[in-house]
Amino acid sequence: MRDARLVSKRFSLENSHTLKVAKENGVYDEALKRAYSLEPLEIIEIIKQSGLRGKGGGGAPAGDKWELMPQDDDKPSFLAVNCDESEPGTFKDRQIISKDPHLLIEGILITCRAIKARHAYIYIRGEYKQFQDILQSAIDEAYADGLLKECDITIHRGAGAYICGEKSALLESMEGKRGHPRLKPKQKECEWYFGNPTLVNNVETIASVPYIIEHGAEGYREYGTEKSPGTMLFAMSGHVKNPGVYEVEFGTGMLDYIEHFGGGILDDKKLKAVIPGGASTDILTADEVKVAKLDYESMRSIGSALGTGGMIVMDEDTNMVEALKNLLEFYHEESCGQCTPCREGTGWSNKLVGKILDGKGSSEDIDKLLEISDTMNGKTICVFAPAVSSVINSFIKKFRDEFEAYNKEALI
Amino acid sequence: MSLIKVTVDDKTYEVENGSLLIDLLIQEDVHVPYFCYHKALGADGNCRMCMVEIEGQKRPQIACDTPVKDGMIVYSKGNKLPIKKIRKDILELELINHPVDCPVCDQAGECSLQEYYMEYGLHESHMYGLEKVLLRKKIDIGSNVLLDQERCVLCARCTRFTDKITHTHELGIVGRGDEACVTVMPGRRLDNPYAMNVVDLCPVGALTSKDFRFVQRVWFLDSNESVCTGCAKNCSIYIDHNKLKYQDEKIYRFRPRENKDVNGFFICDEGRLSYKKLFEDRVLNSSHVNEKDIIKSSIEKASNIAILVGASLFNEEIEMVKEFAHKISASLYCPQDIYIDEEFEDDMLRSKYKVANIKTIQNMGIKDSLPKAYDLVINFDHPSVVHVDAKEIISFQTYKNDLESTLTIPIASYVEKSGSFTNIDGVTQHVDKVIECDKKTKTISEWFERLEL
Amino acid sequence: MSYSFSPENLKQIELLKKRYPSLHALNLPLLWMAQYQDGYISLEAIDEISKITTLAPMEVYRVATFYTMFKLEKPKKLLVSVCKTLSCKLRGSDEILEYLKNKDVEIEHVECLGSCGTSPVMQIQDKYYEELTCNKVDDILKGFL
Repeated sequence: MRDARLVSKRFSLENSHTLKVAKENGVYDEALKRAYSLEPLEIIEIIKQSGLRGKGGGGAPAGDKWELMPQDDDKPSFLAVNCDESEPGTFKDRQIISKDPHLLIEGILITCRAIKARHAYIYIRGEYKQFQDILQSAIDEAYADGLLKECDITIHRGAGAYICGEKSALLESMEGKRGHPRLKPKQKECEWYFGNPTLVNNVETIASVPYIIEHGAEGYREYGTEKSPGTMLFAMSGHVKNPGVYEVEFGTGMLDYIEHFGGGILDDKKLKAVIPGGASTDILTADEVKVAKLDYESMRSIGSALGTGGMIVMDEDTNMVEALKNLLEFYHEESCGQCTPCREGTGWSNKLVGKILDGKGSSEDIDKLLEISDTMNGKTICVFAPAVSSVINSFIKKFRDEFEAYNKEALI
Repeated sequence: MSLIKVTVDDKTYEVENGSLLIDLLIQEDVHVPYFCYHKALGADGNCRMCMVEIEGQKRPQIACDTPVKDGMIVYSKGNKLPIKKIRKDILELELINHPVDCPVCDQAGECSLQEYYMEYGLHESHMYGLEKVLLRKKIDIGSNVLLDQERCVLCARCTRFTDKITHTHELGIVGRGDEACVTVMPGRRLDNPYAMNVVDLCPVGALTSKDFRFVQRVWFLDSNESVCTGCAKNCSIYIDHNKLKYQDEKIYRFRPRENKDVNGFFICDEGRLSYKKLFEDRVLNSSHVNEKDIIKSSIEKASNIAILVGASLFNEEIEMVKEFAHKISASLYCPQDIYIDEEFEDDMLRSKYKVANIKTIQNMGIKDSLPKAYDLVINFDHPSVVHVDAKEIISFQTYKNDLESTLTIPIASYVEKSGSFTNIDGVTQHVDKVIECDKKTKTISEWFERLEL
Repeated sequence: MSYSFSPENLKQIELLKKRYPSLHALNLPLLWMAQYQDGYISLEAIDEISKITTLAPMEVYRVATFYTMFKLEKPKKLLVSVCKTLSCKLRGSDEILEYLKNKDVEIEHVECLGSCGTSPVMQIQDKYYEELTCNKVDDILKGFL
């Protein structure tokens, strides 16, 4: 496995978050110079050619999103950097903002030049206050150094809502409202902030931009696969010896990753399952993990998704019914409550799994869970409910015997 | 304004390009369930009930957020997609936390949830062993409105009403997920002149009228179209009434009726509750029995006669009084200042003239002053008669007052007769008789006939 | 009884106003300011925020009830937020929660704090305390109680 630290190479340096160390190690240098010598549309073209994909969980091509921003509009354009990282199992963005915030600021400057934005907001989740302070001091350093003449950066703090990571809910929250996702437009268009064209991108996506501009689209494509070029900060947690965030190129085998970086399963137990891309992706059995590769296409072909790349590793002693209950409690708590299938479906499925855990369930309850999951899929305002649906479906499909074992019929 | 063709369930319609699909479905009576959509409030897309299948789209689409396109093909009951099952499943989710209050809920009989359950649901409960979400019930939020948070389906119609229509922002949805509920801020109340419209807007029994609470079951009520006479706007309403055994016919409530030329979708609270005083302090009998003789001799004796005509009468009745005045060479008066309440007027519906037919009086150019120094004044339901100074006063009136008259004759209120009003904007509406009391009071035209005037 | 922000906060508000295209966007920053100033968000604070942002009081109130970190009542004891989501649960958050029940603190069960690689974790007054053991919990709480 070759060294592919395109974004995280300065993380282990002492005081990597300071302007001095950042400048001494390549930030605000070649990438920024090259960006200022290019026209906005040229920058967008390079990002398109590089195949950079959004790292917030969706994996949509970033260049296509950037292209939707108007180049000639009376209204001001904005950039919103999504640092609402609340997906269970995901803790990569906090590494960037606390260990290499200047890389993010450089990425913001280049992106704002490309989309002709004069103001960037970093929406950071409320709980990340100690990392926000590091990021704010980096922004203050950048202001003092005159780096932010073309573009203002403002940190906007959230207050504890997972749903505000959804891009339209994020903008609603930034407009001072509840984080309710918006109804999706019928045609492809940019996002809107107080009626002004806005681009929303994940922290890691923006932090990947300087490398691409400095080394070109070809330089980025030297890593990864053809359809999933480049690298990603994959995170690993749960029953591994060395949990943490490690950057690898796309296409790396999942088991290789777990063994190489994670050091294998904790206490040398056997692997049972992995939730591959943060909680909202289909769970994989140990056999599936053996053939899984960390890129978007491979994950889709085995029936799951890459998501945010946050792997939750579970050993042979894990109780899958309790694990599903734990996740459904999360979804029940975080549903915004706007539309009926999600609001009621998350509550009901949480209670049903609780009933099964108490030994009062039956096969019919398990079938009902699958029915609720079907109702939540594809009939709601945003993709929160389809994510819950995929979690319920995959757990029950792959570990049904554990659920059945709790049934009162079995206990008799 | 270009017209395009849209096919719904194999029938083709011509409709304005860009209009909402749900408007077409409602207009053409294609039955699609919905909670959160309302013509006056727009779409919110949160109930997900109005889902239909559109050719070319692999997922069902909500009709309230879909603008029509030329050549669109719509299946309201589904073709490849199981729309019926989807509706049933989403309805089930609405019902799992809904309390089974029907036996004590005023909304029963006009409740969308009940209707949709009978048409699309008929589920059995799968909630055994599970607890429903419990919230607060029977909260008096002010302005005669009671809130029951458990019955609420969170369609947000009431909150959108106080946001977009009255701009008073009293109601809001607080909390998150299935603990979310509609409420007012702690210690504050629903307090605006149109507050009770939320009772009509609410598709279920979450917001109910305190005035109507436990009074009558709606399936016993007869509904008639009429207008409100609280002010000169003449908002279109339904009058709901019933005749219980051994009792007189009674009006139970007014409800707004949609009329794009007059009031849109709403009425003000004062107009809504004005049904109460229709039968209060009525003049029931003539003060003297030989009305014909008294009137004839008074008219013959007088050397000058004035006629006061009230603005509460129908157009036809005012016309009749005008002809009568001409016949007996009397001068016609209608002082308007007693009807005016400047503070009542607002920029929504309420007019400063607190009487139904002031426009007709103004159109006819009737003298806007009190008659002075007349031998005889004949009054037709004008309240200023108490300030008149004349040798003799004969008064036809609906309601009692302190007048010392030569003769007082009772006349019927507008709900007991047919005729038309013209409102302050010049819109004329015809209303039919709604109720008939056991002890029938005569109308003006019936008196004219009887007294040979 | 009217509410007022401290002079430093008022200065900060003026700076913030220049950074957003509309006063409405100040809703969340001002709610945070009120919470830091008083330890919780009172109805009077909400009315004041409503005046500054030109949002109706109900709009400010609705937002305050939507987000879990905003407290509308003053916590009576030290607030300890413990993550209970899957990665922490797999590494023993249940034990930490059980242990904290014996302490004189107000326990809040929160969802994923983004410390999955350094779990179990608890948050006290904006700071994360990670890779917890029961002994560590004692040491940390000594500093507060």
